[in-house]
Amino acid sequence: MSALIEIKDLVTNFYTYEGVVKALNKISLEVESGLTFGLVGESGCGKSVLVRSIMRIVQSPGVIEGGEVKFHMKKNGKDEVIELLSLSEEEMRQIRGSEISMIFQEPNAALNPILSIGYQVSESFLFHISEQMCAKVLEDLESPRDNTNFIWKSFLRYAYRVGSKDAKALPLRIFNKIPILKCWDKRLKEEATRRSIEIIDKLHVPHPEQVVKSYPHNLSGGMKQRIVIAIALACNPELLIADEATSNLDVTVQAQILELLNELKKEYISSIMLITHDLGVVAETCERVGVMYAGNLCEVADVREIFKNPKHPYTKALLNSVPRFSTEGRLAVIDGFVPNLVNPPSGCRFHPRCPLTMEQCKQNVPDLKETGDRHLVACYAVD
Amino acid sequence: MAVFISRRLIFLVFVMFGVSFIIFGLQMTFSPERRAMVFVTTPQQAKDIPVLIKKYGFDQPFYKQYFTWLKEVTSGHLGYSLVASDSVWRAFWRYFPITLELNIFSSPCIILFGIWLGTKAGQKANTFTDHFTRIFSIVGWSLPTFLFSLVMLMIFYGYFRLFPPSVLGDELTLLVYGNTGEFVRYTGMFTVDGILNGRLDVTFEALKHLVMPVLTQMVVICAILMRVMRSGMLEEMGKDYVITARAKGVDKKTTILKHARRNALIPVITVAGQLVAALMEGSIAVEIIFNRKGLGWWLAESAMQLDMPVLMSLCLFIAIVFVLANLTVDIIYAYVDPRIRLS
Ligand SMILES: Nc1ncnc2c1ncn2[C@@H]1O[C@H](COP(=O)(O)OP(=O)(O)O)[C@@H](O)[C@H]1O
Ligand SMILES: [Mg+2]
Repeated sequence: MSALIEIKDLVTNFYTYEGVVKALNKISLEVESGLTFGLVGESGCGKSVLVRSIMRIVQSPGVIEGGEVKFHMKKNGKDEVIELLSLSEEEMRQIRGSEISMIFQEPNAALNPILSIGYQVSESFLFHISEQMCAKVLEDLESPRDNTNFIWKSFLRYAYRVGSKDAKALPLRIFNKIPILKCWDKRLKEEATRRSIEIIDKLHVPHPEQVVKSYPHNLSGGMKQRIVIAIALACNPELLIADEATSNLDVTVQAQILELLNELKKEYISSIMLITHDLGVVAETCERVGVMYAGNLCEVADVREIFKNPKHPYTKALLNSVPRFSTEGRLAVIDGFVPNLVNPPSGCRFHPRCPLTMEQCKQNVPDLKETGDRHLVACYAVD
Repeated sequence: MAVFISRRLIFLVFVMFGVSFIIFGLQMTFSPERRAMVFVTTPQQAKDIPVLIKKYGFDQPFYKQYFTWLKEVTSGHLGYSLVASDSVWRAFWRYFPITLELNIFSSPCIILFGIWLGTKAGQKANTFTDHFTRIFSIVGWSLPTFLFSLVMLMIFYGYFRLFPPSVLGDELTLLVYGNTGEFVRYTGMFTVDGILNGRLDVTFEALKHLVMPVLTQMVVICAILMRVMRSGMLEEMGKDYVITARAKGVDKKTTILKHARRNALIPVITVAGQLVAALMEGSIAVEIIFNRKGLGWWLAESAMQLDMPVLMSLCLFIAIVFVLANLTVDIIYAYVDPRIRLS
């Protein structure tokens, strides 16, 4: 299977008043294309920061300090490798939402409360495929059934011809500043809304024509999450990152959304990166799993392998802390505290809580090592 | 909507009733003699105080006096202003345009400048722009208006001879207030009247006299707006929907202006409404120091001379302004924020 994203030594810090929060400590990870990759770990271990660093949308005071993120983009059938961290902001913007998109934990907070659903979904189209939509509008304008008056039509034809080559061309930016001519993009927006209705409909939202006119507070949590997914899927991304996308929903809605993601994966997206702290969800939906602890990646393996044969002491502890029907007795609790990331423990950040600590663990950070059968572990006690 | 507005207007009647009741009650704490003194201008008249008390009914019980006043006001007699030596109604229309004119120029400046500065500062905390605007706003906010006005006068008039105080220069004052029919005071705002009379020199002169009071109000008042805008902007920029917008590939400018700023503006609307309403009753320090005889000046003079008809009328006016300002704020709110329904 070919790689989709290769992350190497990624470091992200937050410069807060309490000190520097070392949220990602040289993470290296490879995600293959065509898979559903699960990322698990306690809350606060840096899962969100990791995926936000990939998309370069870490909020201030966070700074990506180093490392590289290689993204394999399939353009016209050719495989092209791009280093995301070295792109310009504008180049990166074009990748966000069209190649890699993201859905979020809190559907209530993820939508802007004062903008209409239609507008928020349209933005995905307007910021990525304006040219394509301009061409479509131009085609409609040429059709004999269109009865706009002649002068205005000539103007529109000109505007959309320019727009179909470059939607940010100078003439269009000038039109945008002039009161009457500003309306040139009305049909472009209508086209975007039409596409929004189409994509919302595909996500099994009832009455999409009315939904685009409504606002987030008019919709239920599950519906909002579907809209967030619609926004993310609008431009058929290569990779969809779901950051705890189902954690805050009712169990039934959660199941529906997971099912929907599975269904969509077959049709539209090649790969999904699913972040969760729910191991049940991982077992059900993922093919490969990465386990994170305090800004480090401990273990990466196929899902069956990790449940059957966990190697890292933290993964073992994590699996033991999940209630099961088959076992009796006390639920295992991991001793000690989640470390403070301002002054993390030296060496392997898990060593103060680890039952197998050796002298070496306190000094050096173990690298991820292949230990047979596509199973990578970062631990000195495993060989 | 219509129901909402008419309900508010009915509410306004009760507010005016309540306000007038309180103010009237407060002035009752003065002795009848003290209140009669207002009408005394010569030493001989001092002997007539008991006559005056009888004449104006100052010794009658509170409710009787209040009802007499209420009857007068509801039949359209607001009384006579000693300060203006004119009826309150006519004097109001002489002073109000002066204040209104200043506000028409200063309010948009204050609001736009405050929002602009706050947006700049709030986009990214702790940058140079942020520190600079914060210092500016703290200095502006803590400077007493009268002091700042005096400094402005000293520099721009005293030293540079650029922007004179008062409303118009002497010559033009004679022209506009002269009853020769050469100049008609349509609105009482000379920038507008100048245009209507075809005398652009009057408009220009009036604008020149407006520069300093507008600047003063801008520096002193926009600080609070700027701070509300800045903190709103900082808060909104950290919200999840901003990340959603960025993650779908929206550019920085649209994220800031269309997503974050529109949300940050919501609290600003309330503050701006209150500020504009407060300016309508006239900024006393600015009007006195720049010698613009508007509502603020009139209010201050009347209060010092216990000119009751004026004080009562202006209180009613202030009540009207505040209720209308709140009504406007609520309507704008409903327009900006779809979660709010007028009902
Ligand atoms: N805006 C921020 N300011 C300071 N620290 C942050 C910020 N966002 C995240 N962090 C730090 O980064 C670490 C990882 O957070 P996060 O990735 O959100 O965890 P999770 O795995 O639950 O998604 C946390 O320990 C937190 O302290
Ligand atoms: Mg998270």
